[in-house]
Amino acid sequence: MDEGIMDYLKRVFPERGKQITELYNLIGRPDERYATSIFIYGGTSVGKTSITKSLLRKLNMKHAFVNLTECYSSKLLYENILNKLSDHKIDPLTGQPYAKCDNMMDFVYYLQEIHAEMNLDGSVIVLDRAEKLRSMEFNLLPVFLRFREICKINITVLFISELIFEKFYGRAGLVEPIRVHFPQYNKEELLNILSEDIHYARQAILNDFDELIDFDENFYRNYVNLFLSMFYRVCRDLSELRYMARINFVKYSEPIMNKETSIDDSMTLWRKVAPALKSSLEVLYLRIADDKTHSETAKQSSSSTFSKQNVARTLELPFYAKYLLIAAFLASYNPAKEDKRMFVKNHGKKVKSKSDIKKKSKVSEQLNTQLGPKPFTLDRLLAIFYSILDENIGFNNNLLVQLSSLVELQLLSSLSDNFVLDGRKYKCNVNFDFIQTISKMVGFNIRKYLSDFSHM
Amino acid sequence: MLNVISNFEINVALPVELYIIKNMKEDKIIANVRKCLYENIYENINLTSYEDQRLKVSTLIQSTVEYGEANSALVIGPRGSGKTTLVQDVLKEVTSKKSFIDNSFLVELNGLIHTNDNLALKSITRQMNLLNVVEGKVFGSFAENFAFLLASLKSGQKESSKSVIFILDEFDFFCAHHNQTLLYNLFDISQSAQTAICVLGITCRLDVMELLEKRIKSRFSHRQIFTFADTHSDENQLFEAQLKNVNELLTIAKSVKGLSTSYKNNWNKHIQDLMKNKQMKNIIQRLIDINIDKNCLKNFLTSVILNLQDDDAVLSVSQFQEQLELFERDEKVQVLKDLNVLELCLIIAMKHHTEIYVNQPMNFEMILTRYMKFANANSSIQSVQRPVIMKAFEHLQHSELIALVTTGGSKFQKEYQLFKLLATSKQIAEAVKLSPGLPTEVIQWANSSLI
Repeated sequence: MDEGIMDYLKRVFPERGKQITELYNLIGRPDERYATSIFIYGGTSVGKTSITKSLLRKLNMKHAFVNLTECYSSKLLYENILNKLSDHKIDPLTGQPYAKCDNMMDFVYYLQEIHAEMNLDGSVIVLDRAEKLRSMEFNLLPVFLRFREICKINITVLFISELIFEKFYGRAGLVEPIRVHFPQYNKEELLNILSEDIHYARQAILNDFDELIDFDENFYRNYVNLFLSMFYRVCRDLSELRYMARINFVKYSEPIMNKETSIDDSMTLWRKVAPALKSSLEVLYLRIADDKTHSETAKQSSSSTFSKQNVARTLELPFYAKYLLIAAFLASYNPAKEDKRMFVKNHGKKVKSKSDIKKKSKVSEQLNTQLGPKPFTLDRLLAIFYSILDENIGFNNNLLVQLSSLVELQLLSSLSDNFVLDGRKYKCNVNFDFIQTISKMVGFNIRKYLSDFSHM
Repeated sequence: MLNVISNFEINVALPVELYIIKNMKEDKIIANVRKCLYENIYENINLTSYEDQRLKVSTLIQSTVEYGEANSALVIGPRGSGKTTLVQDVLKEVTSKKSFIDNSFLVELNGLIHTNDNLALKSITRQMNLLNVVEGKVFGSFAENFAFLLASLKSGQKESSKSVIFILDEFDFFCAHHNQTLLYNLFDISQSAQTAICVLGITCRLDVMELLEKRIKSRFSHRQIFTFADTHSDENQLFEAQLKNVNELLTIAKSVKGLSTSYKNNWNKHIQDLMKNKQMKNIIQRLIDINIDKNCLKNFLTSVILNLQDDDAVLSVSQFQEQLELFERDEKVQVLKDLNVLELCLIIAMKHHTEIYVNQPMNFEMILTRYMKFANANSSIQSVQRPVIMKAFEHLQHSELIALVTTGGSKFQKEYQLFKLLATSKQIAEAVKLSPGLPTEVIQWANSSLI
């Protein structure tokens, strides 16, 4: 029977055989559960949580699985564990937990009470996202690490975290747990796992084209291989890769469905899908095309890619607001003493000094555009605004309203408190790419006015 | 044709059945071995090196129980040296005696659980079965409440009043309580001999006396019992002791049931041979060089025993060696190894930055520029969009390979927040060496910042 569980888990979680065996050996046999605390760690989407969960479920062990993001306070944590270990059903009308408990002493006391009633020997407490314990009460981590010793019940505590144990050391002394490492999948393993997706791929083709092309595992494996050759370098996250592979497979098989190429012509297929892959590489993790259908996304991604520039383009600002924003950017990224040289028409000839030459050879790390925006006053902003704007407009209320709407849009941020009326200070929040798009729209050459670029 | 098929079926059917039977039987043996070894490691208490200390603790408690003396003492020793085990062992012996059951109470408090004096008092009440006595009463102060608790144990004469043993585990945390009220009351009573109580603190802090307030220090008996794990005069002796210890833990005792005598003999002989192996000795030496904590040894041996799964598995030197390598492994290198190429490139860029600007903090823009310079110089590196790189940067922050330098004041945009790198260049070089399939340009770049 136990062998059956192992085989099942190894089939469901391919390439994780070693970790499953290790975990099983530690907690699988009820009479051999000696380890007090086990620390499971590894990067994102390597199967830590899902393997632990299904192992516990398959073994039919009494366990309390709590996520520390969910149970952000110790009271929630205690009550949640108590509810789960006591099989307490929460009545939706009253919502009463098993017991009200907000400190470790009561928690241990209630656990012993439950233990006297239904024998908790051999049960398991799983703390997912254990790194959050560090920012909770100081005694949680040390107590859970030697829970057996403190509550005198044979309970094993499993910690699941993305961080290494080294990051948990703090002022309170910790008992070292037994560690189980889940390494990130390598390329070969990812290829094997993603190739198992073939049923899904068949379904996707059927949904999109209403007919089925007959492809075998090799065809799909080839596709995954090709896909990984592009994506593996920037992403090893399985869930993200799977999502991307599924989306792009439809595009990959489109030429075949349209009878443009034969199924064996992998070279042509590669050539045709490469741009689509490239554009989805750009939106990796961003999940922008989430709610659109696949064919729509195909059209979208070929015509335009969603990036920061697009945000700038879609943001419809009034003409003066755009200039105000440009002026704000200039004020933020130029030192005030350079203003004269930049914006005054006849500022006279400047004698080059040694320090000027030195300044020109500034390394990129000291550039203003790299160090972030500096605050500026309203007066300076307006002075720059009028100097870069060719036409002469009066200073009126409308202009000030636009300024406050820029602050509202979070494109500028106000650094002074609200009650300060005089000499308010602002900071520009947009980056260089954004402002470049904006200035292109109004036909303004921003590079000319930035001291970082003036010597180039 | 038909004949062949039936023959075939018979051939298959038999071995499977046999295999299952054989498997079950063997599995049982190895499971028994595992169980026995685990019991050795987790339940066998070896206090041979603490004979003196054990006697001291024992007489202290005995005198309170038997003669109604009031005492206080501190057991001090480093973490994992067996302080709690020692005290628990003594208590096990004492509490089983009739004299104890008749006229004593045991109150165990833990600094990690009883985080303030009110909780501690509640727990004391609970452990002394006085909940019904206290119910409905209102106390003005902590001392009053506490005095009432103790008074309710008295029944007139000194002879018939009960004595109480207080065990304060993680004693140093009690020192952090407000005004150290609990400690004051406990020590005050123990000194003025109002009631027969024995206060036994357990702590790992050697400077614990400094944590006590003056008024409390003066009431403490200054009796300290030290447990230093294996106080051996020289390294060699320590090694011998450890070797003996490991040998004992891995040996199957003759009294164990469920295993044949010949199997036990074979097993024990194998362990004897193993301990004589030179490589094995090196491993144990290495272990005590790194850590002599008992918990550490426990975990190490547990992980080795986990390997005993197959029918005729024995412990081998190579298993120990493998475990030692895992034990010594730098986990941060593992984390670096799990990064994708883009993230590793960012880490390399950060490494160069920290080397060039001597530990100056950096922000995303600086790293991006450095990375882009490298990516542009090598056409084979596919360029990715800024948001994707930002995401990779955030992932590094999330896995705590870089940490925010708090500058204070106004909040910065994400791109301009200052970070410092938390991995050393040695670790990065190691990770680059271990990662398979890295592009050669990246390896070259990792070794020199010149592009």
